[in-house]
Amino acid sequence: MNPRVLPEARDRLATFNDARASIVDQVVGRVVDAHIELAAQGQDDSLEYVLNEVAFSEIRRLEKSSGRENKKRLGRWHELAHKLGHMSEADKREELTSIVRYHAQDIAGNFNPKVYRFANDILPPALSFLLNPISGLREGVQALGAMAESIRIDGPLDTINKCCEKGTLVLTPTHSSNLDSIVLGFAMNRSGLPPVTYGAGKNLFSNAFMSFFMENLGAYRVDRRMRFSLYKEVLKEYSTILLERGFHSLFFPGGTRSRSNLVEKRLKLGLLGTTATAMVNSLQKDSASRRIFIVPVTINYRLVLEAETLITDYLADTGKSRYIIEDDEFSRLGRIVDFARKTLAHEGAAIVKFGTPLDPFGNEVDENGDSRDGQGQIVDPASYLQNREGQVCADTQRDSVYTRMLGRKLASVYRRDTVFLETHLVARAAMELAHRRSGISDVLRLMRLSETALALPSQELAEVVDALRKVIVANPDAGSLEESLLSKPADEIIQEAIRFMSKYHTKRALYQVGEHVRIGSMKLLYYYRNRSGHLNFKWEG
Amino acid sequence: MPQSTQDTIGIVGAGAFGVALAAMLGRAGRNTLLWSQRQDVVDKINGEHRCSSFPDVELPATIRASTDVEEFADTARFLVVAVSSETVRERLRVLGTAVTGRHLAVHAIGAFGPQGDMRVSRIISQETPILRTGVIAGPSMAKDLMAGSGTSLVCASEFDEVTREARRLLEVPSIMRLYTGRDVIGAELASALSGAYTIAIGLADGLGVGIGTRAVLITRAAREMSKLGSAMGASSETFFGLAGLGNLLVRSSVQGEHRSPSYSLGLDLVSGNGMGSHGEGSRAARAGLRMASAVGLRVPVLATIVRILDGEIEAAAAAELVKTVAESE
Repeated sequence: MNPRVLPEARDRLATFNDARASIVDQVVGRVVDAHIELAAQGQDDSLEYVLNEVAFSEIRRLEKSSGRENKKRLGRWHELAHKLGHMSEADKREELTSIVRYHAQDIAGNFNPKVYRFANDILPPALSFLLNPISGLREGVQALGAMAESIRIDGPLDTINKCCEKGTLVLTPTHSSNLDSIVLGFAMNRSGLPPVTYGAGKNLFSNAFMSFFMENLGAYRVDRRMRFSLYKEVLKEYSTILLERGFHSLFFPGGTRSRSNLVEKRLKLGLLGTTATAMVNSLQKDSASRRIFIVPVTINYRLVLEAETLITDYLADTGKSRYIIEDDEFSRLGRIVDFARKTLAHEGAAIVKFGTPLDPFGNEVDENGDSRDGQGQIVDPASYLQNREGQVCADTQRDSVYTRMLGRKLASVYRRDTVFLETHLVARAAMELAHRRSGISDVLRLMRLSETALALPSQELAEVVDALRKVIVANPDAGSLEESLLSKPADEIIQEAIRFMSKYHTKRALYQVGEHVRIGSMKLLYYYRNRSGHLNFKWEG
Repeated sequence: MPQSTQDTIGIVGAGAFGVALAAMLGRAGRNTLLWSQRQDVVDKINGEHRCSSFPDVELPATIRASTDVEEFADTARFLVVAVSSETVRERLRVLGTAVTGRHLAVHAIGAFGPQGDMRVSRIISQETPILRTGVIAGPSMAKDLMAGSGTSLVCASEFDEVTREARRLLEVPSIMRLYTGRDVIGAELASALSGAYTIAIGLADGLGVGIGTRAVLITRAAREMSKLGSAMGASSETFFGLAGLGNLLVRSSVQGEHRSPSYSLGLDLVSGNGMGSHGEGSRAARAGLRMASAVGLRVPVLATIVRILDGEIEAAAAAELVKTVAESE
């Protein structure tokens, strides 16, 4: 545990369970009060409209599902829809309160310090021992170190640790895999950062092993099936109140795992927007309130557990509509263990890169927790929330623009802080060479080619790798190479990439035949290629 | 008259547009403070109520000017940046030392920044802590403002608060009407690119094309601008409004007193002068071509202007431009 972080900042989540009931009450109070105030204006804001939207949305969802419990729920919503027109305002308020309370309680997480200590002190060595096939019992004590080598951590950790004491951290990582929360949790613990609360898809709680930890480590449930706006309001209010109370949080602004493996560009801003709202609320109560610091994080895997499912889903016609995947590699414990043994156990299997903290307006924050403008001058973040009279005030439209700006800033930081590993480098080079040699510029057409039809000369592939490396080095805003790749000979990098890409996936992405490299899975190659998709590079050789 | 920060309009720059805007607002009883780094300019405004851009006009006594950037930032919350595009970055860098996140700023610069193709609103955010930014654009000439002739501008900002404040502080009944919107990219691109297309119209006039061909060129220019703008994330409608077509028409006016530098450059090109120009219109043409190239868009009018500017087409062969327009699409 890192002694640099003050216990108050480190242990805030330990107080969560005591505060849970009052947090739920506060969520219910705020959401219901806001609706009653709006309802006074009538029209689309009337309680009847709000309740009708909930009933309509739930009827539509439940009509497509089966099971006795769902049928019972469907009946309840039909009943509400029928009686809505005759309900008194008091009854509508009671119904609204009941719905909001139900969802607030469903969302609210739990934090068990004992499970947290277990997860941090006992699990990593055990996990590391399990992951490392050559370790004997004697080496068990060194297992934590082995895990540390598997997952490398980079970034301004001193600044982040100091910000943690001065305010509330909001970690905003890229999202490639369901293992992200475990890998990031490990990286945070190693860096002396405190536990955070985070929203996790309710579907993830169906995995018993994961569910145990998530339910006890502050995760709150996000039910993506709930499409009505009242649910989103409850979720946002819950997040806002957690931030106001100083609970360090984590959002995945990409919303869901990147199906294509492209670095996230279009971010979901809903929960991110709660940072500005929480700041307004806190400042209105106390001008010296805690600040909120957004910490961008990129998680860079050499191999991704669910790569095959994700890219297949991306390429399928239905890809965009399948928001929740319940049958991927993450749902099979055997695949997770296999993945962990074959990939995570290796040095540099994942690089977690923390970025410089930002304020809710996208300004970088220094080690004293002060916001710095583009010229590096200190700027008071509260000044962005002041109205004409100099008062901090709520302004939904204004704050939504700030959140869009923050989203744009995060997207640019994600690109800059992307670390390219062997698999990304060689997959991009191989795809570029395949385009060049086939004369086909369209990716989808290229993918329809027989995978064995393309033999890439090793020598030329090495030339492409070299050219790509130069382009990456010349464009620091588009990412960087893992340090060892700067000087390693290109043919060595190719051999390592081939070895890694043959290890775990059901198909080999690339394989060597004599003086040529052949493509075993164009889909996987495309997936790993996409990590550098934002980089302008074309092989003209 | 006591000046409250919330009701005072701060104008960055005491050039022709800034002073004319201040004069129009001053006559309407609004408080304005001009910020200039030149002591002689400030002294002349404060002491003699005169300025070099309009030597015959006596300025309203309510107009004040200052070289003190701290005083300027403390006095006004709503700022209008009205300096030349060549100096905007360095002026904003100084302004950035005094303003805070509470300030709102719109700019009235119908061009890209001094280097490359960066929009001025982005330069404001880079050089100062101000995030609530916007743009005012349209066919309002400094002379019209000074004369109090009725005119209109468009004010675009992502922040409704900025456009609300702009209307509250800059609109003057029967003299200045502000239309508002959120398409900042569109308003800035339309305003800057219209300078580039003005070169083409000057060139066509220099060649002595008929009014019908001239009208075709203006229409095609607006269309090409809107296509490029759409590809850059703007709304195509913006280019047919005040910031685009409105600017293009006023800048390509043949009247000597309104003749813009870009229009004059077009005329000069016909007589073999002006090649290699780095004026606002030329920079906009090159920037527009780079943007189009980046998104794979064909922009024949802009491409021809740049070829002429770069000396790739002889001045005598400038009729190529007109031919290109007639053949485009």
